[in-house]
Amino acid sequence: MPKFIVDGKEIEFKLGQTIIQAARDAGISIPHFCWHPSLSVSGNCRVCLVEVEKMPKLVIACSTYATEGMVVSTNSPKTLDARNSVMEFILINHPLDCPICDEAGECKLQEYAYAHGKGESRFDEIKNRKEKRVQLGPYIKFDGERCISCSRCIRFSDEIAKANQLTFVERGDKVTISTFPGESFDNPYTMNTVDICPVGALTNNDFRFKSRVWEMSSTNSVCVGCARGCNTEIWVRNNEILRLTPRQNDNVNSYWMCDNGRLNTFKFVNNNERIDGAFFRKEGALQKVEWAEAINESAKLLKEYKSSEIAFAGSAFAACEDNYLLAKLAKQLGVHNLDFASHIVTGDQDDILIREDKTPNSLGAKLVGVKSSNNGLNLDAILKSIQEGKIKALYILEDDLASLSEEWEQALGKLDLLIANAANQNRTTALADVLFGASTYAEKHGTFVNFEGRVQRIRPAVATEEMERALDGMNMSRWDKFGTKFDRWMQGTKHNSKPSWKILSQISNVLGGKTKYEMAEDVFAEIAGSVDAFKGLDYDSIGEQGAKLKIKQEVKV
Amino acid sequence: MERIVLPEIQSLDQIEVYLANGGFDAAKKAFAQTPDSLIDQVKKSGLRGRGGAAFSAGLKWSFMPKTTDLPKYLCINGDESEPGSFKDRQIFEYNPFQLIEGAIITCYAIGAKTAYLYIRGEYHMWIKLMQKAVDTAYEKGFLGGKMKEVFGTEFFCNLYIHKGAGAYICGEESSLMNSIEGYRGYPRIKPPFPAQKGLWGCPTTINNVETITNIPPIISKGWEWFSKIGAPKHPGTILYGLSGHVNKPGVYELPTGILLTDLIYNVAGGVPGNKKIKCVIPGGSSMPPLRGDQLEGVRMDADSLKEVGSAIGTAGVMVMDEDTNLLDVLIRIAKFYHHESCGQCTPCREGTGWMEKTLKRIKNGLGTSKDLDLLCDVANHIEGNTICALGDAAAWPVKFMITRFRDEFEKYVNSDVVISVPNKVHAMRNTAVPLSDLKK
Repeated sequence: MPKFIVDGKEIEFKLGQTIIQAARDAGISIPHFCWHPSLSVSGNCRVCLVEVEKMPKLVIACSTYATEGMVVSTNSPKTLDARNSVMEFILINHPLDCPICDEAGECKLQEYAYAHGKGESRFDEIKNRKEKRVQLGPYIKFDGERCISCSRCIRFSDEIAKANQLTFVERGDKVTISTFPGESFDNPYTMNTVDICPVGALTNNDFRFKSRVWEMSSTNSVCVGCARGCNTEIWVRNNEILRLTPRQNDNVNSYWMCDNGRLNTFKFVNNNERIDGAFFRKEGALQKVEWAEAINESAKLLKEYKSSEIAFAGSAFAACEDNYLLAKLAKQLGVHNLDFASHIVTGDQDDILIREDKTPNSLGAKLVGVKSSNNGLNLDAILKSIQEGKIKALYILEDDLASLSEEWEQALGKLDLLIANAANQNRTTALADVLFGASTYAEKHGTFVNFEGRVQRIRPAVATEEMERALDGMNMSRWDKFGTKFDRWMQGTKHNSKPSWKILSQISNVLGGKTKYEMAEDVFAEIAGSVDAFKGLDYDSIGEQGAKLKIKQEVKV
Repeated sequence: MERIVLPEIQSLDQIEVYLANGGFDAAKKAFAQTPDSLIDQVKKSGLRGRGGAAFSAGLKWSFMPKTTDLPKYLCINGDESEPGSFKDRQIFEYNPFQLIEGAIITCYAIGAKTAYLYIRGEYHMWIKLMQKAVDTAYEKGFLGGKMKEVFGTEFFCNLYIHKGAGAYICGEESSLMNSIEGYRGYPRIKPPFPAQKGLWGCPTTINNVETITNIPPIISKGWEWFSKIGAPKHPGTILYGLSGHVNKPGVYELPTGILLTDLIYNVAGGVPGNKKIKCVIPGGSSMPPLRGDQLEGVRMDADSLKEVGSAIGTAGVMVMDEDTNLLDVLIRIAKFYHHESCGQCTPCREGTGWMEKTLKRIKNGLGTSKDLDLLCDVANHIEGNTICALGDAAAWPVKFMITRFRDEFEKYVNSDVVISVPNKVHAMRNTAVPLSDLKK
């Protein structure tokens, strides 16, 4: 491999790599605003100016190709002088509103100003005024004064979202960003521009002014909006999810996620229609009972039916661990009527990220055994059998079958016994005889398998009653770390819910099952031991970026 | 003295007159030769670009790839937006066919089938005149498919006029290409250079209108003839645009290397009221100015002007007499570059506005001599740190005007020494306060 020298260190590069790329691969970070690894090079911020031997002028590291034997200096006096002056230029018209700016704490300009700024301004004039609150699209607000004209958002919407909706208007220091006349910045990926905006010029209507960045903890997770399984970070303050942001995974979602996934996949975790605890129907009404009582009653009731009178409905919203234990419980009871509902929105798919399948784990559910066996019934047949009165008991795992159709709702009403694990109140839970409050994807460990067969981990970001943030090793914000339980910000709601795998394993144990699982990882270890596709995997080897499963035959979902 | 670009012939803008005076003979002669030999002749003639950088035209042509599957393009830059230059429009008005002839010879030499003539949008009248000439040329078969019959060759080319929309930046060659392609006038990062990747990603040569108009005489009369005119290293004639405090302002075609004093006192009739000259900008507003007391012996060619710390630019000579307020001049120039900065690169986008604001503050009597140092420092940090040369063009006038006329600028600012006093709020910091404030 060819080599060149950066700051006296010899590093290797691939042909066609620019200085900034090669340096980045070697762990040397050259300051930059407009350059982004997955966008085209615009070369306009000028912060990445570096000195290269034998070149008359400073060159920008983002557009200059590395060549054999090149000698680059990223911290020579000349480079530092240029970088400091570019920082000064950017800051002369940038409002000094960090104390009220959402970006503060994760702002590139702020970071570089600390590192490369002079601390005092030589600018005695009046700053330029621009429009402060422009609603560019349904979710994006633009502050023209904060904008440093790096053009990342423009290039993103053109190159990644394939919707050329943004442009620069005006010239010189009056330059600002706008949509084309009469158009709205409304493609399905707009809020990624907020993430890549190096300053606080673009803010997300949903999160704007909600929290300082350092008041939140961030936890690596996976989006549950569709079968793509975009890698995300869940941002939590006071045990409440405030936002989701995409996390880089070149095998899945690059740096991006869609607006729907970002906005509509966490609010149900926070809302007050959660199922808090376990419920049992007595005298026609659901009544809150102890967990143990509900579990014992469920086991007792299930035993009263013949195996052909029972059906189990898994869920592509639930984790592999939950579905696996559901399938295992079915097997234990000799039940073959086992399936899960698919949630496909035909046509709602693009070749960027969005998938038709609106569940995060349909492939996983199938792989761990949620499918009818030995002439057992599939979902449609289960519905028919319930209508005909042949199936009398149904266990529904984290899915709202009653909302699928009128027929389903009526059929569920006909059942003698309906047990449901659910996170939120819905039309199915209203009909349940036994109801367990299930932890959401943001409250438990587990795994999802995306449509390409990549298994990825979810982690608890929100504490439930059975968890303690510090003791259970959950990620913590500064507030979590330094607060006490008497502090206002430590008194967020904790829901009384359990992960479905735990509920299912307890029912199984009451019914005579022998296996005891301490944690989700134990369940996964058993999956890895018994399902070929998962062979050799554990939570550590899945890691932050997921692992591709070795799926032998085509599994149709 | 013979004029090359604007010969002394009445109604040369009529095709009959142009043909009667040997029009398109150069093209016929050119098509009988190989493109390489034409490039060679232009190289040997020593013709240097008239658009500002004075780069060898023949050398530029030779950068065009010989073997490529891509179409090649010629762009002719008639954006002419530099304050102080107004030469190209004379060509559009008085000698359009020589420009067209130059364009087809150039197309043939570099292997282009299409040429774009980019004319600044404000030149409504000249765009019309030029379009008329192009239409006539098509009609007579000097452009387009009919060229095959008229010249009896396989070669033909098309020429399109593209109207600018009023941005100075579109005179920068890569912005000009973006503008032709329909994009915002933003300069492109170099490399790749236009000869590698220009219009629509294809090899492109960009020449100034005046450069192209020089081509037919070079071909018909020979490179040796041309190379003997004017300064040896920068031969030929130049359209000097004289403006400002001279008795006879206007465009004069004269050989390169002429004395600047000759140009001002003999050609342009001297300074009104026989006043002294304070300052001369020799090549359009972006070029470093010369002091009035240092004009003796300065010759108007690229190398001589470089020696005295300026540049030939577009040869738009602006003369300012002893009563001129240079602060006002500089504010106007700074305002222009602030207004015309495209806004792409940080130093130019922010720096041009900063310089204008500071200069205006000085004008309002609120400047100190420290501000003059600040202006030079700001200019120094713009220079060389941007994608295109507009940053340099904005920085040079400020930097050189202040350093070369520091004595004059000191008169406009308060010479108060700025001292530092402890800040009342932050005891650790000092606040800079002009002495005059403390006296009050």
